[in-house]
Amino acid sequence: MTTTLSPAPPKATAPGTSKEPIKERLAPYAYIAPFFVIFGVFGLVPLLFTFYVSLFDWNPIGDHVFIGLDNFRRLLDDPRFYNAVRNTFSIWLLSTIPELLIALGLAHLLNHVRLKWAVFFRMSMLVPYITSVAATAIVFLQLFDRDYGLLNWLLGQVGIGPIDFVQSTWGSHVLIAVMVAWRWTGYNTLLYLASLQAVPREIYEAAAVDGAGSWAQFRRITIPSLRPVIVFTIVTSTIGGLQIFTEPLLLSQSAPLTCGPVRQCQTLTLFLYEQGFGQFQFGYGAAIGVALFVLVVAFAGLNFFLSTRGRTDK
Amino acid sequence: MKSRIAIAAVAALALALAGCGGGSDGKTEATGDGKSFEFWSFTGINQKASVDEYKKTHADVDIKLTEVGTSVETAQALTTALAGGKVPDLVLIQGDDLPKFVQQSQNFYDLSTLGADKIKGDYLDWVIAQSTAKSGSIVGIPTDVGGMAVAYRTDLFKAAGLPTDRAEVAKLWPTWDAFITTGKDYVAKTGKPFVDNAATSVFYQAVNQGPQKYYDNDGNVVYSTSAQVKQGFDYAIQAAQAGITAKQSSFSNGWSAAMADGGFATIAAPSWMLNTIRSNAPKTSGKWDIATIPGSSGNWGGSYLAIPKGAKNAKAAWDYITATQSPASQLTHFVDSGALPTTPSVYTDAKLTGLKDEFFSGAPTGEIYTKSVQGLQPFVIGPDTSAIGQEFQNAITNVEQGKGNAATAWDDALKNIKTAIGK
Repeated sequence: MTTTLSPAPPKATAPGTSKEPIKERLAPYAYIAPFFVIFGVFGLVPLLFTFYVSLFDWNPIGDHVFIGLDNFRRLLDDPRFYNAVRNTFSIWLLSTIPELLIALGLAHLLNHVRLKWAVFFRMSMLVPYITSVAATAIVFLQLFDRDYGLLNWLLGQVGIGPIDFVQSTWGSHVLIAVMVAWRWTGYNTLLYLASLQAVPREIYEAAAVDGAGSWAQFRRITIPSLRPVIVFTIVTSTIGGLQIFTEPLLLSQSAPLTCGPVRQCQTLTLFLYEQGFGQFQFGYGAAIGVALFVLVVAFAGLNFFLSTRGRTDK
Repeated sequence: MKSRIAIAAVAALALALAGCGGGSDGKTEATGDGKSFEFWSFTGINQKASVDEYKKTHADVDIKLTEVGTSVETAQALTTALAGGKVPDLVLIQGDDLPKFVQQSQNFYDLSTLGADKIKGDYLDWVIAQSTAKSGSIVGIPTDVGGMAVAYRTDLFKAAGLPTDRAEVAKLWPTWDAFITTGKDYVAKTGKPFVDNAATSVFYQAVNQGPQKYYDNDGNVVYSTSAQVKQGFDYAIQAAQAGITAKQSSFSNGWSAAMADGGFATIAAPSWMLNTIRSNAPKTSGKWDIATIPGSSGNWGGSYLAIPKGAKNAKAAWDYITATQSPASQLTHFVDSGALPTTPSVYTDAKLTGLKDEFFSGAPTGEIYTKSVQGLQPFVIGPDTSAIGQEFQNAITNVEQGKGNAATAWDDALKNIKTAIGK
């Protein structure tokens, strides 16, 4: 955008080129201003305010008492916090890894040159993504129900006793991971597919002529050419996965804010919500938010580092 | 072309920001005329019926009724609104959510200043006591109470060789011990669960039957030493261990399904639960009946109407409260939609005592439920009551699901409560 209308920004600010009209030099900033204004109002200010609130014992309809770092001290001693961290990572691992692997495989298949009805299959990938999470949760909860669910009925047919997916720790994590994966697999597939279509067909043809099978093509052509978008999906899935909220909230109807009687699937965001809006401890909720922020930044960075390292080695 | 897009984007942003400002201006204009007010309620309680009824006699009053969501969501929205300063003129608050607001009563009109001190004698003492702050300020006027009874399936009782007549059934369980024994008897004969769950149908009821729950009369937290709480907890653990529960948490999908297909034979039923049963299990019409709860008294639920401090039309809202919550109006509301009045003066009215519910084998619901709230002993409800209750219920459910250790459940619950509320 900048190249078509004005010279590159560094040049514009360099001395000696200042005879360009000021309008031209400011134009690029005007273009990006809407994002930064909106981000500032709805992103940055709330973020900074959260840091501020986390230093208080903050009753939303009562007193605000400054208590320094007490909320964070309490958080580090709180077994519920570590439980939420464990649950969040468990659900994230259970959902993200299969989700990205399946998406990769599906994208490879959907990119196949002889695929009939390609547009139909590609579009249908998006159906789970555009379905509301609440609707998804209702259907999955019925499928996975202990006494009346289709899945347990099928398991019963082969002699496996009913599994209580909602009440058990592993069961609830698997159930949430399935919902998350169901929703996001198609979306990631399309991201992979889009960048696969930019890979020249000739490379695949040449590989086929040289005797490379489908697996070899997948490993030697598909994966390397997708590397940038794989890094992108890993980072976004990390950010999204660590903030899973709606699925666990809708899982346990008896204790929604804790996702069950023993917080067996309470994620960090749900813990934040429970403390902030269930118990009205805004200060403590904000402290959880800050901890979550730190975790997300750290792990998104770590994943970025790990998934890009291979390339710099070469 | 591209510059035009950028200008359009900036213009759209400007419009959006202007839109925000415009919205608030619009609100200021419409306030203070005394003829219109904004009313937040929650779903499933049919406030629209009361509003329509009121409009019939007050055609000039414009009521903007918003059903915010569930009762909990409504309380959360109210908290946000109070923190933000933009409040409705009238709000319905469910009893469990009320203590947090009563504790911060400076956010609400003291209804005594509007005339509540003159009518407070119309309502059950222990109900209005819950909406009265320490300072004496009355935060809310009670609209209804739940009362308590046990709904049971006569067909399933008959199949198990138990009596089906409601008076005889009530004799089966004068106490919770007897209730559990009856349950064991039922399970032994049918092999099916007796009651839906231990946390709600046993603990939540038993713990409400006495003069002291989680707080003493001075407002000190005493959950760990209260005999009443320990007793209720032990009953629930016994029920869970006796294997008489269907392990279905109230309001879950499985619970609704089990209700319809005989997955349990009894359920603790406050008066509003009858509608839940009716809509969850329409095909079981005539197969249910209602008997007295063990311990004979109890309450679950009930709501209050409150006016936030920042309300612009407090007078119009108060006029609505006095008109719709008078003893006569509450009685009419009960006959129409089943929410139990909080005004004991109508408890002997023939319209109330004569009401029979055919879905529940003609049970005299008015008589049964008013009896359960009249015998109730008031206890102090504090700001952490719901958090404490939730942890106790969680511990019980955990034992019921076969994962928690019954022997350490009480201590575990105490530990979790201490973590949760810090005392």
